[in-house]
Amino acid sequence: MDDGEIHDYLKSTCLFLSKYASALLGCGATCIRIEKNIGRIADTFGVHVDMTLLPAHVIVVVWDCDHTHSYNCSAKPIGGMTDFCRNIELSKLSWRIVEKNLSCDEAAIELDRILSLPQLNKWIVLLLTSAANASFCRLFGGDFKAVGIVFCATLLGFFLKQIMIEDKIDLRITTIASAFLASVVGASGYLFGISNTPELALGTSVLFLIPGIPYINAGSDLFTNHYLCAVSRFIQAVILTICLTLGLCGGMFLMQMKFF
Amino acid sequence: MELLIEIIQDIFFSAIAAIGFASISNTPFSAMKYCAFLAAIGHSLRFVMMESMEVHIIVAAAIAAFVIGVVAIPLAPKAKCPPETFSYPALLPMIPGMYAYRAVQGLVMCLSSSGEEAFMHYFYLMNYNGLTCIIVVAGMVIGVTMPIFVFKRIAFSATQNVTND
Repeated sequence: MDDGEIHDYLKSTCLFLSKYASALLGCGATCIRIEKNIGRIADTFGVHVDMTLLPAHVIVVVWDCDHTHSYNCSAKPIGGMTDFCRNIELSKLSWRIVEKNLSCDEAAIELDRILSLPQLNKWIVLLLTSAANASFCRLFGGDFKAVGIVFCATLLGFFLKQIMIEDKIDLRITTIASAFLASVVGASGYLFGISNTPELALGTSVLFLIPGIPYINAGSDLFTNHYLCAVSRFIQAVILTICLTLGLCGGMFLMQMKFF
Repeated sequence: MELLIEIIQDIFFSAIAAIGFASISNTPFSAMKYCAFLAAIGHSLRFVMMESMEVHIIVAAAIAAFVIGVVAIPLAPKAKCPPETFSYPALLPMIPGMYAYRAVQGLVMCLSSSGEEAFMHYFYLMNYNGLTCIIVVAGMVIGVTMPIFVFKRIAFSATQNVTND
């Protein structure tokens, strides 16, 4: 290959790898998985890759085998919400590239197909999340009336969150509003004397908003020496927890409840 | 007998909780049964340790997460999914959410309290809840990720030999 062809090859490979890495980062994959998958694909394409994973960017540098030519580009994370379906499909794609020896163009088509896959039906997610949070209340020892209250509180709170996310409203504001609505409904056990465990109904009504996966991912990145991403994910999770608490405190203040 | 019923209840409700919380993260339906299975094992194990053996929540959560991580490794090639895509959602019912927001509530109360005694009380509550939450999550993460790094070859090749044909 002459220099022009090498440049074109490195450019198309780099663009694909940066898009692939940003898709994985955006769907909440751990940094170690992004590194492993990118390394696997780069070996198949016959290039060397240096990658910098930052909280809001991925910087990819692709070298030819002789380390004489390189191409680099940066990309922002695609998506932003945890999406395990996309994570799984992207991991499968990395192996398909190896096993079927897919070209960069073929892999790019596959990548676009994966990025356009539909999400789970929002009504099913709403019902499953409400049932999950109601189960949570039961796990904490709440009676079945409290479980019913938490189911209703989650149904309304999570529905509001879905609407606000569809309208592209900031996630922090969305979390405050959802927690506020869920806690107001969750306090109905106190207000109407419905349950024997109203404190559990109120306490668990907002737990569906706890950003559990970012907390776990932060820990995982910490142990694989990706400190920047670990700290970033941890701070993001803490901020969402603070927003959740602000919404809860607002709801409790409105309902004239004591915090402790 | 009463403990047995409580354990069965714990298994049932933690499985439902795992499926619901997994759906928020767009976990495919094919992987949800593994989430439910792992959550049921982990949560009920933590329940037994805390209720019958009086193990502290930090130790109990770490051991339960380790068991989830170990069981997830052989399941990953079977599920054709990376182990973290169903072992992480299975941990969600054990995330100490109440400790997390009670820590922030403690902070709010600190700032709105009058007098040193009240301030110190809420400061204590903030620290106690915050520290417990952080250490429980750290223990769980160590527990669940350790098997992934020990069995790297299986964990990172779970999606191998999977085609769309």
